[in-house]
Amino acid sequence: MLARLAELLRYRELIENLVMRDLKVRYKGSVLGFLWSLLNPLLLMGVFTVVFTLLAPNTAIPKFPAFLLCALLPWNFFSSSMVGAVHSIVGNGHLIKKVYFPREILPISVVMSSFVNLLLALPVLFLFLALFRVPFTIWLVYLPVIMAVQVVFVIGVALLLATLNVYYRDTAVILEVLLQAWFFLTPIFYPAEIVPEWRTILGIELPVRRLTYILNPMASIVASYRSVLYGFTNGSPPAPPAWDFFSRTVVTAIVCLLVGYAVFVRHSRRFGEEV
Amino acid sequence: MAIIQVDRISKRFDLQPNRPRSFQELVLNGFRRGRRARKEEFWALRDVSFAVEPGENLGIIGANGSGKSTCLKLLTRIIEPTSGSLAVNGRVAALLELGAGFHPELTGRDNIFLSGSVLGLSRREMRRRFDEIVAFAELERFVDIPVKFYSSGMYVRLAFATAINVSADILLVDEVLAVGDQSFQNKCLGRIHQLRASGTTIVFVSHSLDAVRSLCDRVLWLDEGRLCGDGLAEPIIRRYLQHVHDRAESEAMAHLRIRREAAADDAPSQDNGRETTDVTDGPAHPRRVPNGQRWGSCEAEILDVAIQGADGGERYIAASGEPMRIVIAYRAHRRIEHPMFGLAIHRDDGLQISGPNNVFSNCDIPFIEGAGHVTYAIDMLPLLEGTYLLTAAIHDAKGEYTYDYHGQSWSFRVVRGEVGERYGIVYMPSRWEHTPSAVIEPQEAN
Repeated sequence: MLARLAELLRYRELIENLVMRDLKVRYKGSVLGFLWSLLNPLLLMGVFTVVFTLLAPNTAIPKFPAFLLCALLPWNFFSSSMVGAVHSIVGNGHLIKKVYFPREILPISVVMSSFVNLLLALPVLFLFLALFRVPFTIWLVYLPVIMAVQVVFVIGVALLLATLNVYYRDTAVILEVLLQAWFFLTPIFYPAEIVPEWRTILGIELPVRRLTYILNPMASIVASYRSVLYGFTNGSPPAPPAWDFFSRTVVTAIVCLLVGYAVFVRHSRRFGEEV
Repeated sequence: MAIIQVDRISKRFDLQPNRPRSFQELVLNGFRRGRRARKEEFWALRDVSFAVEPGENLGIIGANGSGKSTCLKLLTRIIEPTSGSLAVNGRVAALLELGAGFHPELTGRDNIFLSGSVLGLSRREMRRRFDEIVAFAELERFVDIPVKFYSSGMYVRLAFATAINVSADILLVDEVLAVGDQSFQNKCLGRIHQLRASGTTIVFVSHSLDAVRSLCDRVLWLDEGRLCGDGLAEPIIRRYLQHVHDRAESEAMAHLRIRREAAADDAPSQDNGRETTDVTDGPAHPRRVPNGQRWGSCEAEILDVAIQGADGGERYIAASGEPMRIVIAYRAHRRIEHPMFGLAIHRDDGLQISGPNNVFSNCDIPFIEGAGHVTYAIDMLPLLEGTYLLTAAIHDAKGEYTYDYHGQSWSFRVVRGEVGERYGIVYMPSRWEHTPSAVIEPQEAN
């Protein structure tokens, strides 16, 4: 395992180059290339703002665009990484069958290039926060930590998905549907606070809000982002995420990475034959 | 210390034709529990060991499916062995991934650096080699345009130049390099020879034995995944050729035996008239061509045509320069005076090479009645490598009336034997002489 990590480190330049390739190709051919990648979250933000402030004003949340954007950008990082990673092994079959390099580089570089996109979008996020007069606080220092935790989680899932798609080629199709459901099940365009603490479903008393967090690591991650960037819907200013809550999120992310990596390493021995 | 150490490696491929390839199939198969996916195994390599010292040039030969490419893929670590161990101590460049990882939208320059990092070279190392690569590919003017605008020739040139200039310790080459035009191919081969001279270890897999001879000192011979030979190039190649020859022969024999048994069932009485001078269990048969023409009155019939080698054994493959006998088995249903037995040999494209008969050769056969054999004996077969067709006929003395005629009805193969010549159709028994003008006494050279 350690030898493998050392090898990965030796090939870090390949990750850099693959990320550069990805960004160059994405932004080449259009001067507005970078703006295009921002268009999706901004458009979604516009639509949700129209829906929740004009069409259904009862549920209005203060500074809604800012509220939305600080969850939407992390979500976009997550979903674009998933969509890219699921194809990363099969789509690069021509490379896998011809050259040796640590295979995990492919999904990792997909995640990293999505991450660079997130970083590039951050100034726009800050612009919106300033525009809606959300106070910037000292708790922004948590932001890099939260991002790091998300990267760990995303890489873990990306490795799993990339492996799965080698053996079951419709993983990508299923993922598309799952991501859509996942988006709505994650408190992105609604605050986590509106999820009831307890709810009786089919006669069973369930701690719904707790379950949301336990079953959905993205809910915890998005909540952490929102907590340090936006604050809370009742108007209280940004605050660090609760200590015990955040440490559980960290543990989840690390477990995800370890499991994803272990599965990937186990199966990547046979990628050369399967793709 | 060996630069490549392969220790008893085996590689098994699991062929699972019924394995579900998608979740959809997985779910559907769940309902049809009855036919569980059965597993088939295929051993591409079995228990192969060898070591390569630095600077050695190793060729790997063998028939299709013998495990050559699997062996090369194991060395590049693209696939991993099922058992055994393998150590490669040095940087490997493989000329089998030409252009893998090139992205059409990126410029030649970007792609060179990207390929370098795929091979594990740092940006700094690549910068040092950059000019050399571009010069070798002859693409100085185009290095800053996206490779999607390259012609296919430019593309492979860039790919080859990149792959071969990364100063690897070990160069793995699969098959003949069909890269670019003739002059670029020569340049590539020149470069490989240059690397070889400078001490780069080369592992070369090829069907072209001539290419292997010219590049490799040592040869591994794989057959059905097992190591059959390991040693100096020339003896191993000779053994390999002999093996290929023998196998083709034995396949042909098996084929003939089946045919003969079928024929024997049809006409059990046929053997009764046979003469006792037969070698082995009867004359052998070249392959019968399915759509050969036949006509004639059938008052005398050609029953079969056989080819015998120097040892008198039956065969359908003959070697250049060796003795060969063509034996015609006939049966005459009435007495025929002074018959003419004729043969014709055509190349498989229809060119007639010879057309002997016993009358031209002043060998008179007074009469035939009943069964018998006529033999056409060649002391030294002058035909060179190729496939040939045999015609046999019985005519009357003047060649005007045909009793039986089988046009191009049998085929036989000629393989390279003691004769060294390779071009054309025939070897003419001959020798070379050399007379330098400065020397007064003419000397015979051999």
